[in-house]
Amino acid sequence: MSGHDSKYFSTTKKGEIPELKEELNSQYKDKRKDAVKKVIAAMTVGKDVSSLFTDVVNCMQTENLELKKLVYLYLINYAKSQPDLAILAVNTFVKDSQDPNPLIRALAVRTMGCIRVDKITEYLCDPLQRCLKDDDPYVRKTAAICVAKLYDINAELVEDRGFLDALKDLISDNNPMVVANAVAALAEIQENSSRPIFEITSHTLSKLLTALNECTEWGQVFILDALSKYKAADAREAENIVERVTPRLQHANCAVVLSAVKMILLQMELITSTDVVRNLCKKMAPPLVTLLSAEPEIQYVALRNINLIVQKRPTILAHEIKVLLEFKEYATEVDVDFVRKAVRAIGRCAIKLERAAERCISVLLELIKIKVNYVVQEAIIVIKDIFRRYPNTYESIIATLCENLDTLDEPEAKASMIWIIGEYAERIDNADELLESFLETFPEEPPQVQLQLLTATVKLFLKKPTEGPQQMIQVVLNNATVETDNPDLRDRAYIYWRLLSTDPEAAKDVVLAEKPVISDDSNQLDPSLLDELLANIATLSSVYHKPPDAFVTRVKTVQKTEEEEYPDGEGGYSEQPGASSPATTSTVQSSAGRPPAAAPAPVPDLLDLMGMDGNNSAIVSTEQPASPAGPPLPVLLPAPTGQGLQISAQLIRRDGQIFYSMLFENNSQIPLDGFMIQFNKNTFGLAAGGPLQVPQLQPGTSASTLLPMVLFQNVSPGPPSTLLQVAVKNSQQPVWYFNDKIPLLAFFSEDGRMERTTFLETWKSLPDSNEVSKDFPAVVLNSVEATLDRLAASNMFFIAKRKHSNQDVLYLSAKIPRGIPFLIELTAAIGVAGLKCAIKTPSPEMAPLFFEAIEALLKS
Amino acid sequence: MISQFFVLSQRGDNIVFRDYRGDVQKGSAEIFFRKVKFWKEDGKEEAPPVFNLDGVNYFHVKVVGLLFVATARINLSPSLALELLQRIARVIKDYLGVLSEESLRKNFVLVYELLDEVIDFGYIQTTSTEVLKSYIFNEPIVVDAACMPPIGPAALFMQGNKRMPGTAVTKSVVANEPGGRKREEIFVDIIEKISVTFSSSGYVLTSEIDGTIQMKSYLTGNPEIRLALNDDLYIGRSGISNFGYSGSSGTGPVILDDCNFHESVHMDSFDVDRTLSLVPPDGEFPVMNYRITQEFKPPFSINTLIEEAGTLKAEVILKIRAEFPSSITANTILVEMPLPACTTRVNFDLERGIVGQNADFKESHKKLEWSVKKIVGGSEHTLRAKLNFSQEFHGNITKEAGPVSMTFTIPMYNPSRLQVKYLQIAKKTKTSNPYRWVRYVTQANSYVARI
Repeated sequence: MSGHDSKYFSTTKKGEIPELKEELNSQYKDKRKDAVKKVIAAMTVGKDVSSLFTDVVNCMQTENLELKKLVYLYLINYAKSQPDLAILAVNTFVKDSQDPNPLIRALAVRTMGCIRVDKITEYLCDPLQRCLKDDDPYVRKTAAICVAKLYDINAELVEDRGFLDALKDLISDNNPMVVANAVAALAEIQENSSRPIFEITSHTLSKLLTALNECTEWGQVFILDALSKYKAADAREAENIVERVTPRLQHANCAVVLSAVKMILLQMELITSTDVVRNLCKKMAPPLVTLLSAEPEIQYVALRNINLIVQKRPTILAHEIKVLLEFKEYATEVDVDFVRKAVRAIGRCAIKLERAAERCISVLLELIKIKVNYVVQEAIIVIKDIFRRYPNTYESIIATLCENLDTLDEPEAKASMIWIIGEYAERIDNADELLESFLETFPEEPPQVQLQLLTATVKLFLKKPTEGPQQMIQVVLNNATVETDNPDLRDRAYIYWRLLSTDPEAAKDVVLAEKPVISDDSNQLDPSLLDELLANIATLSSVYHKPPDAFVTRVKTVQKTEEEEYPDGEGGYSEQPGASSPATTSTVQSSAGRPPAAAPAPVPDLLDLMGMDGNNSAIVSTEQPASPAGPPLPVLLPAPTGQGLQISAQLIRRDGQIFYSMLFENNSQIPLDGFMIQFNKNTFGLAAGGPLQVPQLQPGTSASTLLPMVLFQNVSPGPPSTLLQVAVKNSQQPVWYFNDKIPLLAFFSEDGRMERTTFLETWKSLPDSNEVSKDFPAVVLNSVEATLDRLAASNMFFIAKRKHSNQDVLYLSAKIPRGIPFLIELTAAIGVAGLKCAIKTPSPEMAPLFFEAIEALLKS
Repeated sequence: MISQFFVLSQRGDNIVFRDYRGDVQKGSAEIFFRKVKFWKEDGKEEAPPVFNLDGVNYFHVKVVGLLFVATARINLSPSLALELLQRIARVIKDYLGVLSEESLRKNFVLVYELLDEVIDFGYIQTTSTEVLKSYIFNEPIVVDAACMPPIGPAALFMQGNKRMPGTAVTKSVVANEPGGRKREEIFVDIIEKISVTFSSSGYVLTSEIDGTIQMKSYLTGNPEIRLALNDDLYIGRSGISNFGYSGSSGTGPVILDDCNFHESVHMDSFDVDRTLSLVPPDGEFPVMNYRITQEFKPPFSINTLIEEAGTLKAEVILKIRAEFPSSITANTILVEMPLPACTTRVNFDLERGIVGQNADFKESHKKLEWSVKKIVGGSEHTLRAKLNFSQEFHGNITKEAGPVSMTFTIPMYNPSRLQVKYLQIAKKTKTSNPYRWVRYVTQANSYVARI
């Protein structure tokens, strides 16, 4: 080849397009090739060379692969805007797909799949069918990906023509590259389908594990990611899988290493043998550290992932702790803030890692011996925490700490030291003297220190009830109750005083009660979020530390035409998305990522909910029902079944919160008390947000209560279901089990209202497969207003309305927890029986629940 | 799967742009560049290599000043995307010889051809230069390498060592040499980046070696290669006690904490005789990466002395000793040391008779910089610097100055003592005996001495 490509960017005086046209039709092959290169050069810098379409396509019929590839490149770009002309190329495509040269066959299917023109798609099917069974693996692997392309354009076609089965057959192909692409294509199709298409059985598992060893590095990632969805049957199988995957940890490609780590972590959940788990952790640690020697970009990803992994398995990198000496060195620097941080960091190592604790303590002691004032103070603060983390382990160092008493001048350090003295008063011979030295300045101390002094003195007195401490306690209590304005201090002092004067033994139980062991939960993620993120190790989710649905928005690409973009609106409403019109956009950017899944709302104090203060019982007698007058609650446990106890209950929503409204009626002959409630795993993970507050029920009386509920506690896997299994027990009777139905309406949140534009965009961004509709022949709407009011009362918000012949079409939006929206379209003729309800949502599996709920609402 | 791939110049110009799935808007390159350029208003923080903007995930790496970017909508594996971007850069470099804005523009047709074979519908097909050769028909137009910054670890060898054939790093794997024949040769580079921290008393506090055995083959016919490493090479620190830990004496086993291998490497006989066998694919690739925390002898010892001369003056004496054999020469040595904030002026006293030596006080950073072009093994060099303070200095100067850090490159030396004992090419062509180059180089990653 002569010269170089950049000359193709130069322009000529004559007018580029006519000149190119001429060259494209030249009789010389080289000239035509050069001309196509020029056309592509123009195309890549954004010039419109679509008018040359026919001329370029004419160059396609050549045996020269280089030229053919160039034409194909051009076609992919312009076929969209010239669909009619693209048909011209079809014959050549079909012919090429049968070419003796496998490269040309593959090129033809690959390119046809990229041209998203309906007419071409029809012609694609036959060549694709052939290529899926081609003798050449290069053609088969290209065809496998082409099925995914076709599915994206026309899912039905793929299913009708049996391409899914052909794809599944390729999993058993003898070429690992073909297997990898088939797995990738099936995984993508499954992702976009609500039906089970690609389920990994133990049979496919073993095939894939075998292919794993022979695959290219990228194929290994596809396979490992697909396998991570497989749930091993038992610990034994999990161990077998892990054994096959572990060699991948030695791979030079960090994507393979991280995908293998993900797979191993998932299987480890099932492995019960602690030896095996420990061994695996040992094997995973060095490769994880090695990732940190890669390019800085990879290091970033690795560190974000390691951050998650050590939260779940803190010991995994315990061997790799090499920072202690660094911290020690930093602790002797001049920058005071820096030093404090270094000392705190040592403390955190000690609290997080049991194995490192002893070394941390000895480093801290060395630092204390330097006697630099602020180092000592900071060290004492962290040692207090270490004592609380490992009780009865390191108390021998207290003597060393006490030597530094007089250097303490910061409140936090002083308070920490005083806490230590009080807590271990019985082991410190001169504890009373030490405390006394602090007491002299009691009135001048900051509140933090005063509070600790008060408590420590009480502890001392309870542990050594001798004369000295007794005098001290008098002084302190007097000081704290009479001479101070600080209500916290005063109240605490009064409580101690009363306790000590009425029942010293009770005081001992209270003040010297065993303290819970603390843990370091700084930077700690919510456990449920952590589990979700760990399941997504080696994906973006683990880098952002957000669940995937918080940032993944799907956009379906469908060929669009101008007419379709704005469906004709009638009656002045031009914004409704016609339910029947296809998803119409390829470039409209979907709304920004949905907000991260909301954590379950904190449960307010039960007493506050009831609007009562602590003196009243949360339970109100039957004369004053807690729930407002309304339809009676459905009876779930009839009296005959419950040996006289009748329970009625229903999930309701009030003030943005879900409650279980319950009524207990005691028709038995004995008083019932000690009521407790438990919910079985359910679709929404509903669980009691507090204890069940029911007083003793005398025979013939009843009590009602509102039990606050929390979500996502114990989510049952499997398809959504409305079943809620409840167990209630009391001290007198056996446990009662009954079933309730979860009304989806209770989950519709108050913030479900959508802007019209958002609604429109969301509708467009969701694929058609997410649309579900149902007819309710028995439902009659008598008035639009009344219907909308009723829907609004259940947090389904009106967006727009249009008329379609004699029918009204209503658009509404609603939202359930975790920010999942429902876009609703209701079609009905007023006063005539029959309602059509269509919904579109990212969670179409919820549709049956939704229809059940709306039918119940509109029928009543 | 990947939605788009593009390469941007430093100024944000679109050099290459390929859309694979059509689910991300066309303007993404511009959106990306604007976001990265103005990541934080104060310009202090750089954009992370992975971020999400309006539902689109952007992945990027920087290679020789160019931004290689991929976009995706799904919850993709970020390490997959980032590794891919590095590999694409390497493949393009293998083909073009030189990776630069100019070479990309001149070879855009070839680059697009490559991109279509590397990725199909967002799925990575292959990044092996060897495999790609069967499917690529365009030939590269080689640009002049003279002023191009080379990439890859082997670029280290470009630094002023005449024994190395400089063409090795800028030679295309497919283009023919002038004269039509390709030279049969293979390069094996052992590259070690070392991190050492010395305490103020000169003891080694931490030390680590990040090593890689890099290979670049220009052999025709893809013969099998056998690479023999040290007999006493062990993997995993757990076995240390069994082998009589040797410390820094310079003998005894070489113990790798961890290592990984390129997929072409067969380990069949590794356990028996520490031999790796492989059929090297074309192009540059790492045969093996390894990490060592076993003690080793640091190539330089650093000795710092600070003498106070009254309250307004002090003298710093820096002594560097090259602890490697005199047959070896280190080059591009730079010693840096932060000085107290009140330092206003520094007078240097350089040793005489050393060429290419320079010392400077960077006032804006309050930092001393001492550069030496070459240091021969076994030699010792001293710098005396007289500091003048703007105000009376009380307290400890060592607390406000230091630590001393060094960067350097030492060709034909590696502190781990990992060695290629022999490099055997299984099937030699009858006519020519291929050139075999085995090269070693050590570079300072973080080399710090506290004072």
